[in-house]
Amino acid sequence: MENAITVDKLYINYKYADKRSLTNALKFWKKDKDDKSFSAVKGISFSVQKGEILGVIGKNGSGKSTLLRAIAGIFSPDKGSIDLHGNSVSLLSIGVGFQKQMTGRENIFLSGLLLGFSEKQINEKIDEIIEFAELGDFINRPVKTYSSGMHSKLAFSITAILETDIILIDEVLSVGDARFKKKSFEKMKELILDSNRTVIIVSHSIETLKQLCDKVMWLHDGEIKMQGAPSEVLPVYEAFMT
Amino acid sequence: MKHFFRDIKKYFSYAVYSAKAELKAEVSSSYLNWMWWILEPLCFMFIYMFIYSVVFQSKQEYLSLFIFIGLTVWTFFNKCITVSVKLVQNNSAIVSKVYLPKFILIVEKMLVSGFKMFVSLALIFVMMPFFGVKFSFSILLIIPLLLLFFLVTFGICTWMMHFGVFVEDLSYIVNIGLRLLFYVTGVFYPIASKVPSPFNMILLKGNPIAYIIDELRNAILYNIPMDYKFFGIWTVLSFLIIYIGIKMIYKYENSYVKVI
Repeated sequence: MENAITVDKLYINYKYADKRSLTNALKFWKKDKDDKSFSAVKGISFSVQKGEILGVIGKNGSGKSTLLRAIAGIFSPDKGSIDLHGNSVSLLSIGVGFQKQMTGRENIFLSGLLLGFSEKQINEKIDEIIEFAELGDFINRPVKTYSSGMHSKLAFSITAILETDIILIDEVLSVGDARFKKKSFEKMKELILDSNRTVIIVSHSIETLKQLCDKVMWLHDGEIKMQGAPSEVLPVYEAFMT
Repeated sequence: MKHFFRDIKKYFSYAVYSAKAELKAEVSSSYLNWMWWILEPLCFMFIYMFIYSVVFQSKQEYLSLFIFIGLTVWTFFNKCITVSVKLVQNNSAIVSKVYLPKFILIVEKMLVSGFKMFVSLALIFVMMPFFGVKFSFSILLIIPLLLLFFLVTFGICTWMMHFGVFVEDLSYIVNIGLRLLFYVTGVFYPIASKVPSPFNMILLKGNPIAYIIDELRNAILYNIPMDYKFFGIWTVLSFLIIYIGIKMIYKYENSYVKVI
């Protein structure tokens, strides 16, 4: 099998106090000694095969979301590399970037264009998205009038129906009310089971990962603590967390 | 740079769609909606006409159009620069969820302001016959002049956006700077005759906005030939500014998200 994602010795650092007021900026030129930085991801290497479903687990602050954002191209690596082998990628997380004063329909177009689809492709899918999101007339109202549930339903529908080669999922399985949750979980399964699609899921739910994943990676303080089949990794993780 | 053109091509439709949606949202949320795009510059024109001709007791041929051209150009420039400073922060919802080349945000804002500027420009052409301005072929010069104007603005905006991310109080400095620039740009008075020499020439040629406003007036109202030497100089300089700005943005854009 060919690889869809190859991550090699990836480091991602955050800098504290990076946002400078002018006085700080002047000090900075004099040489700033307090320029602490902290690594969220420390030298991780792994690869995901095409069609594989990788689960990422770990306690809060272990670098899971940072890793996903880096794969999505939002962060660039401070060291190391990420190779997506030319696949298109989308990050499915609660609340895709919406322009609040614009309508839901316009935001579907904007998100789609940002994900690299053409206006024509979006036009073909838009009815399906609107139907799946169950927003009714709200689709023609500004997003700022939406409830948080509607907001995440729309966000989910856009990324779920405009399918990219690689889907990154960040704790999205709890969207909307109980019924929509079930529906989105079904849709997610359908997407994930497509053998051409590569998926990385970040979740705290051991149950979800057990059901969906081929492989699980356990991150601890920015390093890989363990990776392998869900049946191997998850019990150890569970024991560790209790 | 190849990267730059590829991204422009790839994301231009996003910028256009977003700009259209923004204009639409603006229109639907105010009472007199699109009328404001005409009323606002007209009202400012009357204010500065009052200051220039009543307070300062001065005279200028085609004063209303003279001021209107200055305001049209200035409003666009001022708006673009002001938004650029906080552009990344204001779009953090998008920037932190999906990758897009950050200069596209500037392009989008320039399209929004550009549309309003064209409404203003159309108004100038409508008013010209009323004030008895004769049309001449020199009016075609506004095409290269506006292109230069867009390049200059885009270049400065890239710098503003980049430093706006890292320097929190840049917006105060920019506001003061813009106010100063407004008064030395000659938006509502003729620099050449009102400022003593040699400062008038320095202000007129050393400031691209003043230069562009002046040449636009010459082309539209007074049929005076253009100063091609400075046109060339500013074109080269603006390409340089854009080049450096784009390089900077590409180099640092991925760390923007970590800062905001």
